Amino acid sequence: MKRLTLVLVAAAALFLSHAQAQRVNLLCSPDLAWCEALGPAFTEATGIPLEFIRVSSQDALARIRAESANPVFDVWFGGTGDPHLIAMRDGVAEMYIPSTWDDIIPELKSVINEEYIPLYAGAIGFVINEEALGDLPLPRSWRDLTDPMYRGLIAMPDPTSSGTAYTTLATLLQVFGEEDGWELVEGIHMNVAQYTSSGSAPGQLAGRGEVAIAIQFMHDGVKFAAQGFPLTVFAPEEGVGYEIGGISLIANAPNRDAAIEFIEWALTPEAQAIAGDLGDSYQIQSNMNTVQHPLAPNFDEINLIEYDFDRWGDPAVRDQVLTRWLNDVFAIPR
Amino acid sequence: MAVTTPTTPSRTGNGMGLRFSGAWLPALVAIVTYLTLPFGRPGRPFLTIEPDLYALELGAPLLWIVLLGAVASFVLSLLRLNTAVRGDALIATGTVGLGAGVLWFILSATPFGIGALLTLAALALVLGHALSESGRIQGDAFIATSILVVSLFVILFIIYPLFTVLRAAVIIDGSFDLSQLRRTLTHPLFFFLDNPRSQIDEIGLTLRWGMVVAVLTGAWAVFRRRSVPIVALRLVLGGIAGLIIGVLLYGRGALPTSLLTVAIVAPTCTLLGLAFALLGQRARFKPIRRSLDVISVLPIITPPFILAFAMIFLLGRRGIVTHGLFDMSSNWIYGIPGVAIAQILAFTPIAYLLLRGSISSLNPALEEAAQTLGAGPWTTMRTITWPLVRPGLAAAFLLSMIESLADFGNPIILGGDRNYLATEVYLSLTGRFNPNEAAAYGVVLLALVLGAFFIQRLWLGGGSFVTVTGKPSSGALAPIPRVLEIALTLVLFVWTVFVAALYVSIVVGSFAQLWGVNYTFTTRHYEDFMRAGWPVFLYTARVAAISAVPAMLLGFLVAYLVSRHRFFGRRFVEFGSLLSFATPGTVMGVAYIFAFNTGPWLLTASATIIILALVFRNMPVAIRAAVAGLAQIDPSLEEASTMLRARSLTTLRRVLFPLLVNTLVTGLIFAFVSAMTAVSQVIFLVSPGNQLATVLLLGWVEQGQLGRAAAMGTILIVSMLFTILVVLGLAQRISARVVRVEG
Repeated sequence: MKRLTLVLVAAAALFLSHAQAQRVNLLCSPDLAWCEALGPAFTEATGIPLEFIRVSSQDALARIRAESANPVFDVWFGGTGDPHLIAMRDGVAEMYIPSTWDDIIPELKSVINEEYIPLYAGAIGFVINEEALGDLPLPRSWRDLTDPMYRGLIAMPDPTSSGTAYTTLATLLQVFGEEDGWELVEGIHMNVAQYTSSGSAPGQLAGRGEVAIAIQFMHDGVKFAAQGFPLTVFAPEEGVGYEIGGISLIANAPNRDAAIEFIEWALTPEAQAIAGDLGDSYQIQSNMNTVQHPLAPNFDEINLIEYDFDRWGDPAVRDQVLTRWLNDVFAIPR
Repeated sequence: MAVTTPTTPSRTGNGMGLRFSGAWLPALVAIVTYLTLPFGRPGRPFLTIEPDLYALELGAPLLWIVLLGAVASFVLSLLRLNTAVRGDALIATGTVGLGAGVLWFILSATPFGIGALLTLAALALVLGHALSESGRIQGDAFIATSILVVSLFVILFIIYPLFTVLRAAVIIDGSFDLSQLRRTLTHPLFFFLDNPRSQIDEIGLTLRWGMVVAVLTGAWAVFRRRSVPIVALRLVLGGIAGLIIGVLLYGRGALPTSLLTVAIVAPTCTLLGLAFALLGQRARFKPIRRSLDVISVLPIITPPFILAFAMIFLLGRRGIVTHGLFDMSSNWIYGIPGVAIAQILAFTPIAYLLLRGSISSLNPALEEAAQTLGAGPWTTMRTITWPLVRPGLAAAFLLSMIESLADFGNPIILGGDRNYLATEVYLSLTGRFNPNEAAAYGVVLLALVLGAFFIQRLWLGGGSFVTVTGKPSSGALAPIPRVLEIALTLVLFVWTVFVAALYVSIVVGSFAQLWGVNYTFTTRHYEDFMRAGWPVFLYTARVAAISAVPAMLLGFLVAYLVSRHRFFGRRFVEFGSLLSFATPGTVMGVAYIFAFNTGPWLLTASATIIILALVFRNMPVAIRAAVAGLAQIDPSLEEASTMLRARSLTTLRRVLFPLLVNTLVTGLIFAFVSAMTAVSQVIFLVSPGNQLATVLLLGWVEQGQLGRAAAMGTILIVSMLFTILVVLGLAQRISARVVRVEG
């Protein structure tokens, strides 16, 4: 029994985890390549080590909320704006005004009422595999997508699990108004082959020819095209909505000082250039001094709508839209 | 209780003169750790020694009781008293000390520190000694402590987390509220039948199914000249069965989708498993058995997601087979067909492993006897073979059913426009930010799985879940009829070719520029893997290895206690291990988040919580292995050892361990390999610095980094296969030597 006591003591030692020195625990929502490139560059610039986990923006918000009593993460980097907004309003993230605040593109700040820090912007668009489309004409507009000839050729993310798809729904409802908007959503639904759980998956399906048309963020389409998939990327003519990715300081962050240092660094032009140079990410970066990557979709050439972030980012509206989509659209058999 | 129970191993009766209780040492440890180590901790780190976290500084009255309990136990164990009386007194002091400590943590919600951990563990040991010496548990101190510790673990790491899930489903913002459960259960994502927009009338069709099946079963009963009440009963049962079929066929939502998939997958896996088991045991052509052995380990060494992708590349719209060979362009693979095929591929080997045991334990003499007595082949089949295979079939069916319900990796890739219960748990937590909804889905899954267990119990009429294993019998087995053998071999051949094609395409994908589009040779995915995945791979291997040892030891302990001892709470321990095995991984993962994020058990964002999750997930694997091993050993060996006055720990160490080296190492390896490829139970538990290979794999897959994912998949498959072959080979040699030496 003495030996057993010793064994138990040893087993208890298994429970021990190491005490942690100051470092940044990053919850990273954009492309993995971007997340991977951040750590080495940040450590080189500041000497502070960085650990990250890549999770989708929805997943990130869920984790931050679940852990709000004892936060693990310090900074939430990237991902669609809506969840950042919710995190701010819930108090699980806190607003920090960086020293680069005045360099951030003013429009990006104003449309979101300066409720969180804009990190980048990206627009919704069509990502098309012309090979898989065969003899069919290229769809140019949202309305084209409802044509029965595209039946089974469209992929888009599932709005209940992806912020990208919710932005798409909100775009259609804003461009066409509630009534026509829902009719259009229904028409597109009849042609959709697959709703994916991840926002960037439709482009991969299109790239491999599993579908011909993907509805998703244009910068993700550009990325897949750059990787070698046979894809064309453009915005439909009626206009498109966009996202403003955020960067947020987690409330009660365990390494608050390092977190602030990271946010400061992440908004510099040098750090933002990493996205396109090393990170396969072609969003418009939020600092106006950042040299935008040549592949980044140029917002001047895109018909951007006046996206009402305050209204469509509201969790109650979101809930209403998603419920209606589930009950009245998703339920229609194809 | 004034008389010493004869079964207690205390030596007062035989004048050996051990006058004090063995509890003195743990009691002393409890006092020392109480005084020298911090009782609480400030946050996640365990090793911060802050003076204000010491029990004495905290000054809570309950904590004084802990110390009092420990001191009283120490003094008592040194007093010369009647063993049984002293045992009872020690039970009292130990329970009071332990109870006060636990109560304090529950009330104050302080994260427990290293001191508390050791003090309370030591008090549990005191209690173990006391229970044994008082004769309340029949067995020596080791057995009593083991029972206590195992029960505590079952409560803490299985029952309590699941309870928190249940609680989260019905308690919202602190008050009892069934609205979330109701909303989830009436939501179209969960289930709906009538779809006003569809051209077909779902309710009418379902009713028609009910009527048709009812009429058919009723007519059959009339044809068999059954009595009127039985005909009526058959009508009703047939009607219900028909309605269920209708609902599964026409209903939409996660419930009918998951159940329809189960209805396809479980019988198919069981039948294929049976076919392979027959082939393996009774085929004339020996190499078949070899290839079956390889096939049977494939599913556990294959990381999730990868196989589903390989299927898309073979059978998808642009699949090499479907598009390339047959020029098809259809999305048929997305949805139930694809998921069902992927699951059948993955779970048939598991059914095969179970059925191999029961087929090999069939004693051919029984069948021969029946035939000698004049029974025809069908009568023999019905009265002899069927009852003997039935438990195995039921177990295989149940296991494939649970695996199919719990499967998360295949539906998320291949689900198409259908949603599944297991993925809804994940999506409601991560996509819709609704932990209560996730909990509601978890409750549904748990209810389905447990329901199936109890139906199985009813059907088999009791019998322990743990002990459903086969004991191979010796003797010549009658070969199966030649026609059957040829047919089954053909099935196996097609199977093997398909599986081989899938695995080859994974390897090809890992070396292709762009899997599915551009097949130029490249090693860049392996370079990417070395840069981004290798540290995570090593970390995962370390965590898996650490988790495998306690999983195996605990599994062996549970198996030993359950199959060799009768004690109060035995059913409870059995039930607990059943729960940990039957609970779908995502549900357990959510449960661990709920249970271990606040209060005394603040463990999230640590390697500890991942290891714990893996230990209790893989413990049942070890239990099964150990039970099977123990069943082969005659208990008289242990009895002989006990009669020679060896304590049970000594018996375990000197008699059972050497005989079971092989089994234990097998259990260890399988626990390790399962931990390496686990995903659903750990997906919510990873944190910065504690990233796991499979979770990283999911990230890559979601991001479209398929080449890298294939590279990691290939490396995982190859290294796991290597581990199994080499280590098991070594173990067989060692065990052969041990048996020679000890024997």
